[in-house]
Amino acid sequence: MSDGAFTTARLHGASGIHFRPVTMERKRVRLALILISLAFLALFLVMPVLAVFVEAFRGGWPAFAEAIFEPDAAAAIRLTLLVAAISVPCNLVFGVAASWAIAKFDFRGKALLNTLIDLPFSVSPVIAGLIYVLMFGSQSLLGPWLKSEGIQVIFAVPGIVLATIFVTFPFVARELIPLMEEQGRGDEEAALSLGASGFQVFFRVTLPNVKWALLYGVLLCNARAMGEFGAVSVVSGHIRGLTNTMPLHVEILYNEYQFAAAFAVASLLAVLALFTLVVKSVLEWRYADEIAATRRH
Amino acid sequence: MNAITPIEAGVSVALGAPIDVTIENVQKAFGDTPALHGVSLDVKAGELVALLGPSGSGKTTLLRILAGLDAPTAGRVLFGGDDALGLSVQQRNVGFVFQHYALFRHMTVFQNIAFGLTVRPRGERPPKAEIRKRVLHLLDLVQLTGLDKRYPSQLSGGQRQRVALARALAIEPRVLLLDEPFGALDAQVRKDLRRWLREIHDRTGHTTFFVTHDQEEALELADRVVVMSKGRIEQVGTPDEIYDAPASPFVFEFIGESSFLPVTVVDGAVQLDGQSLDLAALGSPHGEATLGFRPHDVSIVEDGGPAITGTIVTERRHGGARRLELEVGTEKHRVEIDMPVDHSRAPGGQVTFRPHRWRLFPR
Repeated sequence: MSDGAFTTARLHGASGIHFRPVTMERKRVRLALILISLAFLALFLVMPVLAVFVEAFRGGWPAFAEAIFEPDAAAAIRLTLLVAAISVPCNLVFGVAASWAIAKFDFRGKALLNTLIDLPFSVSPVIAGLIYVLMFGSQSLLGPWLKSEGIQVIFAVPGIVLATIFVTFPFVARELIPLMEEQGRGDEEAALSLGASGFQVFFRVTLPNVKWALLYGVLLCNARAMGEFGAVSVVSGHIRGLTNTMPLHVEILYNEYQFAAAFAVASLLAVLALFTLVVKSVLEWRYADEIAATRRH
Repeated sequence: MNAITPIEAGVSVALGAPIDVTIENVQKAFGDTPALHGVSLDVKAGELVALLGPSGSGKTTLLRILAGLDAPTAGRVLFGGDDALGLSVQQRNVGFVFQHYALFRHMTVFQNIAFGLTVRPRGERPPKAEIRKRVLHLLDLVQLTGLDKRYPSQLSGGQRQRVALARALAIEPRVLLLDEPFGALDAQVRKDLRRWLREIHDRTGHTTFFVTHDQEEALELADRVVVMSKGRIEQVGTPDEIYDAPASPFVFEFIGESSFLPVTVVDGAVQLDGQSLDLAALGSPHGEATLGFRPHDVSIVEDGGPAITGTIVTERRHGGARRLELEVGTEKHRVEIDMPVDHSRAPGGQVTFRPHRWRLFPR
């Protein structure tokens, strides 16, 4: 048996036994595939991001600082932070509650709820914005009542917050549901049998078990909340200094041929994206380690 | 994992008196699928009872009903004479040990064991020093002294299950429930833990139920074994009763190895294909029956007396014996018998044997 294998190997390779792992391609193929991937990455991802920073600093630091601290830009930054500060906590609470319900309980309509959570992913953001205009705009059913009460939703901050909440709705829940489903109900049942109340089970067992995934979901949610353009564009009305978020401000500057200023504000969003990516990678590294540890026997 | 040494004298756990558990006609259905059809069982205080059965027999469902993790469709459960079904899982004060441990992964061993005490309302919670004393004491009991600062991921499977048991004992449960406690462990660790669990039980004296599909484990560990199948109790008895006097072919087959032959009882004698087997069937009704025997409970017959003759199909080594698979009778029923290792027989040959212990089940 071993003699036969040895002879075959000798026949195939002049220099004794030569073995290439079955899943490994030839050197030429490998090189070609790697080059294609790198070229693609450089062309479509790295260069555009670099371009943002290059353009942002074309006029040097003073021009950059002026573009950022100019009142309308500063107002847009403040509004973006405000919108994120409201919508992210809302979706944090909703996401945790929905995941908890879906992963740990059986009830009628569970599949429907699961599908509904994905709705914002499948609907175009422009439609999402229009939905709110149709619901709260002056032509809507609620319009006259809102007007008589002096509440302005559309072309004001409440509309922007609502649209942002809609668009960022799935991020936290989508991170948590698979993890919580995989963890099952065993830990919760153990805690209950040891006498813990429902609140104690949730805050001392369920939540700590998913804390890294939760943080990751919140980061993604935040990045999207700050970067959302389409839905916000429909409901905002683009009032400078009042209802302009950072992405809308970038567009206005760009349309006015103020390229340096547009790229300066855009570079802030790019920094936010890079920051999110770094924290995400650190978390994935950390959290993968933790998951692996719990599975080690 | 370190070998488990006998429990040192002097380690004891404070306990209330153990209680009787009564299960009366408990039924459970999941939607339209019945899981338990009216199960009744009386368990005396301090008994160690095994719920034994194949998967789908309802044994885990019954255990979860006792714990309060599931509610029965009908029936009653009494803990020491009091209705237990009216109590929530928290109020029922049972210690539950899960097959996959269900340890809290973000807590240390100490925090895991202390959990049941630290979640108590302020008025009932023991002071910190008392909790610490109790946890360290339990760690001694489960022989994990010094591992209190470890996380579950830093422990072996056997160690984790011992932490899970300590955590369940910490709340001074009235009843201890174990769901396939050794199911996820490898064979050697299972055997060690089995012996060790018996010792813990003898020290602490809890009324204990444990679920298993491993008949060897049930027979070795339990005071009484409850054999379940398809949501019903097939037989309840001591390990001796279950092994020596199985009440049905199912129990006979599930407990240990078995061979069956269809036979006829004529005037108190067992016949196979019209030939008498010289097996007295006193008290068995006239007519069709199933003869069951264990492969090691047979004698080879060489004197030409009435016996069973079969053709050898395969022969293989089986532990300390040599196991033959035979084709018997005109309908070529397959049975297995054991022979001494030095009796090697080639397939195709004939063997004549007679069971010296057997059971008859009327059909």
